[in-house]
Amino acid sequence: MSVSSKFGRVYVVGSTFISATLILVIILFLAINSWEAIRQSGLRLFTLEWNPSKEKFGILPMIYGSAAITIISLGIALPLGISAAICTSEILPSRFRLYVKSLLELLAGIPSIIYGLIGIVFLSIWVERAFDLQSGRTIFTGGLLLAVMVLPTIVTLSDDALHNVPQKYREAAKSLGFYRYEVIKNAVLPIAKTDIIGAALLALGRVLGETMAVMLVIGGIDRIPGSFFNVLVPGQTMTSKLGREIAETAFGSLHFSAMIFIGLILLVFVLLITMIALTFFYNPEHRLYE
Amino acid sequence: MSRELANGIFSAVTWIAMGLCGLILIFLLAVMIWNGIRAVDFEFLFTASRNFGAGGGIFYQMIGSLLLILFAALICFPLALGTAIFKSEYLKSARVQRLCAVLVYGLNGVPSVIFGIFGLVFFVNVLGTGISWFVGSIILAMMILPTVVLATYHSINSIPEIYRESALALGLNKWQVIAKVLLPQGIGGAITGLFLGLARAVGETAPIMFIATAFTGVEIPGSFFEPVTALPTHILALAQQAINEQALQNAWGASFVLICLVTVFSALGLWSRKKLKTVGLR
Repeated sequence: MSVSSKFGRVYVVGSTFISATLILVIILFLAINSWEAIRQSGLRLFTLEWNPSKEKFGILPMIYGSAAITIISLGIALPLGISAAICTSEILPSRFRLYVKSLLELLAGIPSIIYGLIGIVFLSIWVERAFDLQSGRTIFTGGLLLAVMVLPTIVTLSDDALHNVPQKYREAAKSLGFYRYEVIKNAVLPIAKTDIIGAALLALGRVLGETMAVMLVIGGIDRIPGSFFNVLVPGQTMTSKLGREIAETAFGSLHFSAMIFIGLILLVFVLLITMIALTFFYNPEHRLYE
Repeated sequence: MSRELANGIFSAVTWIAMGLCGLILIFLLAVMIWNGIRAVDFEFLFTASRNFGAGGGIFYQMIGSLLLILFAALICFPLALGTAIFKSEYLKSARVQRLCAVLVYGLNGVPSVIFGIFGLVFFVNVLGTGISWFVGSIILAMMILPTVVLATYHSINSIPEIYRESALALGLNKWQVIAKVLLPQGIGGAITGLFLGLARAVGETAPIMFIATAFTGVEIPGSFFEPVTALPTHILALAQQAINEQALQNAWGASFVLICLVTVFSALGLWSRKKLKTVGLR
């Protein structure tokens, strides 16, 4: 083997090794650094009170917050986004599609910090007025803002999923005398279902991991609301907790370790979702890089 | 319910949903452009910020952001290229392929704030680099790596087999085939992926806010281990003092500039996808 061939092989094997192990290194370092909290607090990590000065590190309020904003945002964005995608893909004349798609791609690329700014300036004020609250920075505001944020992604991915259904299925269904609604319901949606679920899982991962926008509008109080379903009060998600507090935490303390533990739990959730998406809805033509 | 009625209701629902989405999206765009354009002028772009961001411009923030992503690109590109070549040309076992895909997709799914705390633990605390823009670049490079790897892999992998066979028949060895035949053809995909990755990296706040940036008092860093100021973290700081009218206006201005940067990188990505398409996909 020539020298350049040998060198080339070392280069490609080396870079693949680095790329492939990065994720493992991240998991490993989070696990090592949260070990102290796991050892000292154990199952008490899954309790309700977070109070570093009393060495109480219960992360349930953060998990509640993340779950609540996920349910609120996807509960709004999925039905709205998928219906809109049906309209853009199946009903809207195709000459408009390019414009709509470009607009959606533009909005999907806008950094989350800017959504956070919009949330602070408009959305939290509107929520405050609409529900007559003391402060508009609530769990509900966070969910609503995230719904707006993932909407472009959901619409554009569902639109692709529907658009990729071959025309012949629509024609066959139409020739059976189906109305347009029945064509979509009985022929198009069942075929596009896998890709739409894939899009929903992608949105789920994004909502769970979103930090900046949520952090700015959620209020930052580590408490599960007095009445369980009252989301019009300030709360905290796993990500907003990390974003707000970790820079002020001393490295090596139990507090720091508990923060890293939150990060580890978040990472495990998100990786599980990714694995489910890969296993059941893996699509080699994935639009990840587009 | 008659079929006709169901059809009518269905159409109405989808149109209303689309109208609603359209209104929301147009509102967002209008707010960002309208507030942004009023805040941006020549002076805003080319002066340093004063008075904790409430006065002056965003010159050093722009420099900082560009510096961060320039080095992120320099770190990410060779790594992604090597990984993509290995995945496409050397790796034959389907099981290892699959494992590789899982690891790369897994990395892609990692939330951005996790990259931030990983950087804080690994670089700032364990390696003791302190708050450093170079660490920020490394972390951003890690974040966009999957995007670039997959784009490059697809473009190299889609080069027709006949190119490899012809080159081998001419007596080229494996590495010569890669360097002389496959790379020139497939490099377009890598560049596309890189631009799209950078479009994402330039707007990220969470990965760099703990490890790479300071809010004020920083201009152009003199060494690799100093903080910079960057646009996203600047917007964050201004958003937190949103009651101050002037700070808010500057936040809109900085947002507008940031959106322009994102759009420029996305447009470059789309352009290079069109211009530099791989043979096999042409």
